[in-house]
Amino acid sequence: MTQEINLNSLKELEREVILQVLYRDREVQNVEEERIRKLKTHLQHLRWKGAKSTSQEHREQSCARCQRVLGVLLNRGAVCRGCSHRVCAECRVFLRKTRAWKCTVCFEDRNVKIKSGQWFFEERAKKFPMEGNHETAGAKLLQSYQKLSKISVVPPTPPPHSENQCERAFGYKLSSPDILKSLHQEDPKHSPGPVLEQEDSPSSPAARPLFSEGLRHESLISINSTSTEMGNFDNTNVTGEIEFALRYCFRTHSLEITIKACRSLAYGEERKRKCNPYVKIYLLPDRSSQGKRKTRVQKNTVDPTFQETLKYQVDPGQLAARQLQVSVWHLGALTRRVFLGEVLVPLATWDFGDSATQAFWYPLQPKAEKCEDSRSVNNGELDIRAKLVLPSGPRPDQEAGEGTEDQPSLDGQLCLVVLGARNLPVRSDGTLNSFVKGCLTLPDQHKLRLKSPVLKKQACPQWKHSFVFNGVTTSQLKQSSLELTVWDQAIFGMNDRLLGGARLGSKEEPAGGTDSCSPLKLQWQKVLSSPNLWTDMTLILH
Amino acid sequence: MASATDSRYGQKESSDQNFDYMFKILIIGNSSVGKTSFLFRYADDSFTPAFVSTVGIDFKVKTIYRNDKRIKLQIWDTAGQERYRTITTAYYRGAMGFILMYDITNEESFNAVQDWSTQIKTYSWDNAQVLLVGNKCDMEDERVVSSERGRQLADHLGFEFFEASAKDNINVKQTFERLVDVICEKMSESLDTADPAVTGAKQGPQLTDQQAPPHQDCAC
Repeated sequence: MTQEINLNSLKELEREVILQVLYRDREVQNVEEERIRKLKTHLQHLRWKGAKSTSQEHREQSCARCQRVLGVLLNRGAVCRGCSHRVCAECRVFLRKTRAWKCTVCFEDRNVKIKSGQWFFEERAKKFPMEGNHETAGAKLLQSYQKLSKISVVPPTPPPHSENQCERAFGYKLSSPDILKSLHQEDPKHSPGPVLEQEDSPSSPAARPLFSEGLRHESLISINSTSTEMGNFDNTNVTGEIEFALRYCFRTHSLEITIKACRSLAYGEERKRKCNPYVKIYLLPDRSSQGKRKTRVQKNTVDPTFQETLKYQVDPGQLAARQLQVSVWHLGALTRRVFLGEVLVPLATWDFGDSATQAFWYPLQPKAEKCEDSRSVNNGELDIRAKLVLPSGPRPDQEAGEGTEDQPSLDGQLCLVVLGARNLPVRSDGTLNSFVKGCLTLPDQHKLRLKSPVLKKQACPQWKHSFVFNGVTTSQLKQSSLELTVWDQAIFGMNDRLLGGARLGSKEEPAGGTDSCSPLKLQWQKVLSSPNLWTDMTLILH
Repeated sequence: MASATDSRYGQKESSDQNFDYMFKILIIGNSSVGKTSFLFRYADDSFTPAFVSTVGIDFKVKTIYRNDKRIKLQIWDTAGQERYRTITTAYYRGAMGFILMYDITNEESFNAVQDWSTQIKTYSWDNAQVLLVGNKCDMEDERVVSSERGRQLADHLGFEFFEASAKDNINVKQTFERLVDVICEKMSESLDTADPAVTGAKQGPQLTDQQAPPHQDCAC
């Protein structure tokens, strides 16, 4: 270590050694995060159990945990000093060696605080209020290292054979203390620089062509959500919790979601320690802009208080089919949005009989996997009737391919009757202003488009509308594809919402699920092979 | 030393989710006082007399059974050398407890304890639990720091004190277990003061009975 050269070469090796440690640490952290996530999910279920299984009348006193009816004289229950709810004797946990007790949920809450190490983060926050909860020094080191080395995900590399090779491999020559500079937030000189993982967001689903690679649920629905789903999902560091309460009034059919607060959110912009959070909700499967509700944006806080009530008009029958999606976003400069976490609440199992509005804390979760549920890919069914009309007398196909513009009467006609649709993802009021678009793409990429009238305020529209594509031949059709899409017309010039679509014809790729399409394929072939006969089909909308 | 086998060991340990909670512990102190040896003795029950300077940071994972709980310890070993100070201090914030080590045969390492303590105060949380450990107590012939001076300094700084030997396996396990216990105590305290339901109750539900006899036969 006496000579400069030796020192340099040692530093290259040092960096390798340290990186190995950091990767090992990351594995430990991953396991730990998974464990904590499970703990919190368990607690959440425990909370929901109390909230959803009630079927008591409002005036009756019941245990806040097991919903057992409490007596007037005997078994009156007692108030938990943790949550101030009245609980029965069964739902109390006595703390060892004391006569103090807590209700099952408060006890579990404490347990989770211990097991997740939350107690430590809370204590530490007294001295370092800016410190993110679970972000470790190792994670910061790795991040800064990856930024400097311009390698997005660096697998542990074997030790370099020579110094030169090593330099080339990493793009920069670094000594290990350089890697660490960005750790010191106290020093503002090192803080600027782009946030590594946020620049190359691969998920701008709207940019994907409509039917390009099989039918992708996610891409279809995102098309209409005007910039709302366009934010950045790459912020893997989802932390914190959100507190909200749900209430449904059966008399007025109004669903009220009171967003109270969030705590310990991740920073929207980690480098700058900036966070301007707001909360957005949808009643899935409706992702239209009409179905969106947002809170105001709070400035510069990871513990925002909102106290805002967002409302929907929902028919009681619709509730069971709905899922409340509560997501937290950071509004950055140039209206860039960064996803900070979400909570999904299936309303089917939620009991609104308990009219008392009770707010709970829910741990925020990363974005749910796309296409998590095969059922969700089905956006309803569309009934159609199709017929190929050919002029009497056979015609050589080769000739027909040319001059279709001039002599359409000599060619065939594809007649479709769009009968109606069922099980569409309706709005929260249970209706739609729906219409159908048809697009026939010929082998030369020429597109013939048609559109049905709008049927207002109907959940199961029956358009019974005819589409007639003129001037097509059988051979053309065999290489053509027909796309039918169902839309919900937006009010006031907003984008119409795509409810689902289906495709018939040549471009059906194996990736699109040949198995499920096979009967449809046969039916379509039947249409083409038996002209002048009506064929009825039911298309699954994706 | 033996890094290939170590990382495999760490892998097996680290992928195990079967524990109740995880504590992060940091070992600090001057270069060559025996921090790495101390950790290797505890985690692997091994000892090598050869001195290999730690590069930056390293850690080992060990799951112990204590007070009816499985506690996973992530024990961070830090480089004592000044040039790694930026990286090592970055880990102070994540640590719940510290082992501050000096070498009883090295006056300078003892004199540096005060500075290390200041580092903890600066970079760590306010309730950081610290144990002062005088290592190499097997080398009685070369001792320059008496037990009494060690104890006095520990009292002065408000730390608990052990003399230990990684080589002869003296007080190694006891040191870690005591640190785990004081962190547990701090945890109960922190939860109960923040918690109106159990004010007045001195101890929490799980973490009472701290003074139960140590499990000599436990699997750690």
